[in-house]
Amino acid sequence: MKPRTGIGGNLIVQSLAQIGSGGLFLLTLLAAIPRSLRYFRETLRQLWFVGAMSLTIIMVCGLFVGMVLMLQLYHVLSIFGGTSASGMVVALSVYRELGPVVTALLFAGRAGTSITAEIGLMRATDQIDAMEMMAVDPIAYVATPRFLAGLIAMPLLTCVFCAMAIFGGHLVGVTWLGIDNGTFWSNMTAVVDLRTDIVNGVLFKSLAFGTVVSLIAVYQGFATPPTSEGVAYATTRTVVASSIAILAIDFVLTAFLM
Amino acid sequence: MSQPRSSYAVGTGLFIVLGFAALAYLATQTTSIANVHQGASYTVDAHFADIGQLKDRAPVKIAGVRVGQVQSISLAPGQDAADVKLSIDTRYDRIPLDSVASIYTSGLLGDQYIGIEYGHSKKVVANGGTLALTKPAQQLEAMLSKFFGAGGVADNLGGTYSVTARFNNVGTLSVGAPVKMAGVPIGSVQSVQVDPVKLDAKVTLAIDKRYDQIPDDSAAAVFTSGLIGTQYVAIQPGGSPDVLKNGDQLILTQSAMQLEDLIGKFLVNGSSNGSSKPSTTPSGKH
Repeated sequence: MKPRTGIGGNLIVQSLAQIGSGGLFLLTLLAAIPRSLRYFRETLRQLWFVGAMSLTIIMVCGLFVGMVLMLQLYHVLSIFGGTSASGMVVALSVYRELGPVVTALLFAGRAGTSITAEIGLMRATDQIDAMEMMAVDPIAYVATPRFLAGLIAMPLLTCVFCAMAIFGGHLVGVTWLGIDNGTFWSNMTAVVDLRTDIVNGVLFKSLAFGTVVSLIAVYQGFATPPTSEGVAYATTRTVVASSIAILAIDFVLTAFLM
Repeated sequence: MSQPRSSYAVGTGLFIVLGFAALAYLATQTTSIANVHQGASYTVDAHFADIGQLKDRAPVKIAGVRVGQVQSISLAPGQDAADVKLSIDTRYDRIPLDSVASIYTSGLLGDQYIGIEYGHSKKVVANGGTLALTKPAQQLEAMLSKFFGAGGVADNLGGTYSVTARFNNVGTLSVGAPVKMAGVPIGSVQSVQVDPVKLDAKVTLAIDKRYDQIPDDSAAAVFTSGLIGTQYVAIQPGGSPDVLKNGDQLILTQSAMQLEDLIGKFLVNGSSNGSSKPSTTPSGKH
């Protein structure tokens, strides 16, 4: 697990090295799952930290995304006299794209950065080395629980986000703009499909994003140069790499799943 | 140390429960599952000559009320009719054997569904039975040609006389399109040609001889039937005492409206939302 190569190193070789060592790190993490079962409480604690503590931001953002989406759609669709379809469009766009993507971006900013910073600081202050001295496997105790927690938390957070977005859309559309309540729901239920929208859209995508974001966060933490500057640098990298990875993977997944 | 740990556990548990509750809510309340009645159902076959855009799980309706859904659509090799299996709620097990199953479209652009109209037979369709009477999906083209196939009417009545009319733009007007007065077909378009000198369209109209009292200052206009319908020529009667003769020309004409122009005008007006007068909108009328 070599960190970055030297300054001015070939960019392509550098990125390939990053992807390669990231992939190898994923294998290490997966192989450490049986060993990390001993630290189940640690996984639970991380789940509480990355999942339950992220609920506030996810719920508030979901609510506002649903509200603003409905507001925008209402004004565009009213030109064509199609405002009754707005509930359906809110549901489809949230399930297929906005829910998983925005949740993953928020998750990268809220939880990914703190995972990187925490592990990076552990490294900078030689705590990781101390664990190895005490025969505690740092991968099984530090890395895998955080990775698993992110993996479990992402789909659940995305579901909460989507539910809040629907609630926000309903709030603006039905309560404020006066779309008929029955029309709102019947149009939505007529179009939204369990397999393509909920399972493929919400669950599958968010699971993929959860894997990638958690992997990048943990990997960047372990690859942090042991300086305070290095921690800052690694945290930034987590957000940048996660965002790019989320959007790129989103495109690929959409192309395959549609 | 056990106190914070148990609070983690409670918080995490709450989070997981909330996440799964949200998932259950999304899956059951906002998807098509909400429309599916979970009760027992029985299967009925129906054979359609044309299923149009019918899909699996399309609703089956009686009197507009959903009673089941399409279970499967298949075409047996060597057959020319699609075999559609309908799964109908057992609460509705009194469907007469001579009921008619038809494929309808909900709205102009909506999805297709199967409607069942009750017959009068005393026998009812059993599980695995077949509804023998079906009506295939109506193709829009077939409907339009039936509805506007007025040229045939005029031809059948025999004698026609020809008048010409010149248009700057005939849109998609084609030979055989109906000529209507007051909405009633009175003839058909005989030919559409471009005048090589005047560079406008010269349309020859064949009008039934029964309608020989049309004033010679009547106006001809190219209209569209409905939003996506075919185009036809409408004659708006004038007030002249003289009547049209064979070979006359209609002087007053109104060309076809282009949908793009109309929508463009509409959108520009719509976005200003009535706050300014239509005449002050940036797109000038022409």
